Amino acid sequence: MVQNRKKEPIIVKRNQNYRKRMMEPYALLMPVLVLLLVVFAVPLINSFIMAFQKYRLGSPDIGFNGLDNFRKLFADDDLGLILKNTVIYVICSVAGQFVLGLTLALALWKKFKGRGIYQSVVFLPWAFSAFVVGLMFRWSFNGEYGVVNDLLMKLGVIKENIAWLGTPGYSLFVIILAMIWIGVPFFAIMILAALQSIPEDIYEAASIDGAGAVKKFFRITVPYIKPTIIMTLLLRTIWILNSFDLIVVITNGGPANYSMTLPAYMYTRAFSGYDFGFASAIGVILMTALMVYTLIFLKVTNYEEGM
Amino acid sequence: MREGMKRAAAWVMAGVLAAGLLTGCQKEGGENSSAGEKSQETVSLRFLDTSPSDVRQAYFEDVFARIEEDLGIEITYESTPLEDAANKIMVMATSNSMPDIVTTQDNWLGQFTASEWILPLDEYLEGKEGQFADTVTKIVWANQKEMYGHIYTVPDGMMVKGIYIRKDWCEKAGIDLESLKDWDYDQYFEVIEKLTNADEKQYGMTYRGTRGAFDVMMVYLQGFTGGRTYDEEGNCLLNSDECLDAFEKFTGMYKEGYAPEESINWGFVEMVDNFCGGLTGTLNNDSEVVVSVQNSMEDDQWTVLPIPKSTKDGKIYNTVNAPYSYTISKDCENQEAAWKVIEYLSQPENNIEYCKQVGMIPVMKEVGDDPLYGEDGVYAAFVEQLNNPDMVVPTGYGPFDSTDLQQGPLYQEIQKYLLDEQDAKTALDNICGMLEERMKTYLDENEGAVVDTPKTMQ
Repeated sequence: MVQNRKKEPIIVKRNQNYRKRMMEPYALLMPVLVLLLVVFAVPLINSFIMAFQKYRLGSPDIGFNGLDNFRKLFADDDLGLILKNTVIYVICSVAGQFVLGLTLALALWKKFKGRGIYQSVVFLPWAFSAFVVGLMFRWSFNGEYGVVNDLLMKLGVIKENIAWLGTPGYSLFVIILAMIWIGVPFFAIMILAALQSIPEDIYEAASIDGAGAVKKFFRITVPYIKPTIIMTLLLRTIWILNSFDLIVVITNGGPANYSMTLPAYMYTRAFSGYDFGFASAIGVILMTALMVYTLIFLKVTNYEEGM
Repeated sequence: MREGMKRAAAWVMAGVLAAGLLTGCQKEGGENSSAGEKSQETVSLRFLDTSPSDVRQAYFEDVFARIEEDLGIEITYESTPLEDAANKIMVMATSNSMPDIVTTQDNWLGQFTASEWILPLDEYLEGKEGQFADTVTKIVWANQKEMYGHIYTVPDGMMVKGIYIRKDWCEKAGIDLESLKDWDYDQYFEVIEKLTNADEKQYGMTYRGTRGAFDVMMVYLQGFTGGRTYDEEGNCLLNSDECLDAFEKFTGMYKEGYAPEESINWGFVEMVDNFCGGLTGTLNNDSEVVVSVQNSMEDDQWTVLPIPKSTKDGKIYNTVNAPYSYTISKDCENQEAAWKVIEYLSQPENNIEYCKQVGMIPVMKEVGDDPLYGEDGVYAAFVEQLNNPDMVVPTGYGPFDSTDLQQGPLYQEIQKYLLDEQDAKTALDNICGMLEERMKTYLDENEGAVVDTPKTMQ
């Protein structure tokens, strides 16, 4: 009886210690979880709610309006044009960045004199802010004073100035070009890092077996860097789709929405028209589209197996 | 031991993060308490400038130092670029953190008064209205009383539009500027054509293609509607046959190559830059541009002509506004002090000093005859228009909030026409449709509201 009384507090204490130990990781994670909740989950949920509200900043009558914002969006005459621009912008920018980034990475893979300096120079665009790049392209492609027109005239490619930023088609082209320029280093850095992790002896073995350069590239290099390519493509697609800074700085979506993409339109409607309900509806659609894209992309590219 | 160290480090990190979070979330208690102590001696106010520049900031900081000395009111100068100003004020107003005094544009008043973000100033102005120029009492305040029921602003200075023109280009093209002092729109378009020489990179017109593109055009169209935008029932008058012809004539200047092709994407900054940079020969803009032009061009290169007369009734239709008027915000806790500051800023000697620096026309009667605003001064064309009995101030978009329309849909309709995406009639009908819908909604929602009318100085 006496022995039992002594054992009981020990068990309780052990249980308490065990519980404390179990709770410790959660307690440690709590500040981060609170931070994420405040800066990520709350705005996300809020914007989801706003998508179903008549929410014009400053307007006294804010309230739920069902699917009105979505109806308004799908009835928008310019939606087709904006979606087309968005698809062209994303595909051309990602493809351009990938092809040039891969080429650059392959060029920098082998050692040569001055590689370090060359590498620093070509990676420089990644360090520039989109605002600076936007201004640079806006002035380079200025229809009257721009260096591009001047150069093309001197080379005899064009006979009269082109209003790059004021002509449908060309204005989007300039934005895509700027986006490619700014993003090539990211692909190059990521792919180069992956290339440098491929063991040399595999190539030596392949050479002994009589494999040529093309075969080695597709049978050894590509499979090795595939996870990096997939992840980089996925990330860049999402980033490019979401980015609107270059568009706002270079053309602000003009002329007549010919260089407007969906996120830029969302930004314009939110911060020029103050229609946060409508802008949130665009945001919800964008988010859904990106989630679907991510799932399909990872499935199609067999990312899990590639790892 | 190592495990223990790791755990301790993890707790420290979590603690630091939590402390950071708490610090970030707490109110500015510490600062407030010290401000509270200070407020026993000095009253502190915040002032928001919505059109910042080095010149304006220097002026305000200087005058605020004098106010602190003379009135014991300490003022903190804050600023926000004009492009984002309406947006930022909206965010501050909805979060109850508006500065005490806010410089406000006339076209924001619809929203600001409806949302009660600024306070009526009628009581403060009682018996003092007579000290202000007729442009203020007969146009700005008459309009506010008619549209919003009260006076909400004290103008800092007046702005009128004029046509900036290259003297040297005119001389070369054989254009006699003296004969154009009484010109009409047809003569204006003729001058634009004569000044254009695209091969030499010279264009007669500075075309505004984006934000505010319809504002300038609307004033021209109102020359065919007697200065009205709507009839008494709120029907838009700007898509009549006459207006359609005028719309085609105006946009024809761009379509026929008398303005740079890229100006379809130009806003205020690009317009001023390209006129000052020597690409364009005329610029329809406010008097505030005088300072920029003076700084970048020689005196014998430019001059200002009045806005052309209407070809229909011979009247000058021109906007007159006080773009950065002083208002007291709803969040101001010491309204008496805020009013004292506004009064100080409006004193004749301060008003003229300010207007000279920023390119505006003084609003106080006591300012007297300053040579700068006289017959030979650079502001002569602007002042003469204000004194012209034939000048009419047309109505605007309406008492409702129209910033969203100005910043997108209105100019995009014009752009679509310029790019041959639609015909002129469709563009003008769409523009009128948008305006009419807003106006009628406003009239329906505000019992007793009336459509405003054009104003004259008579």
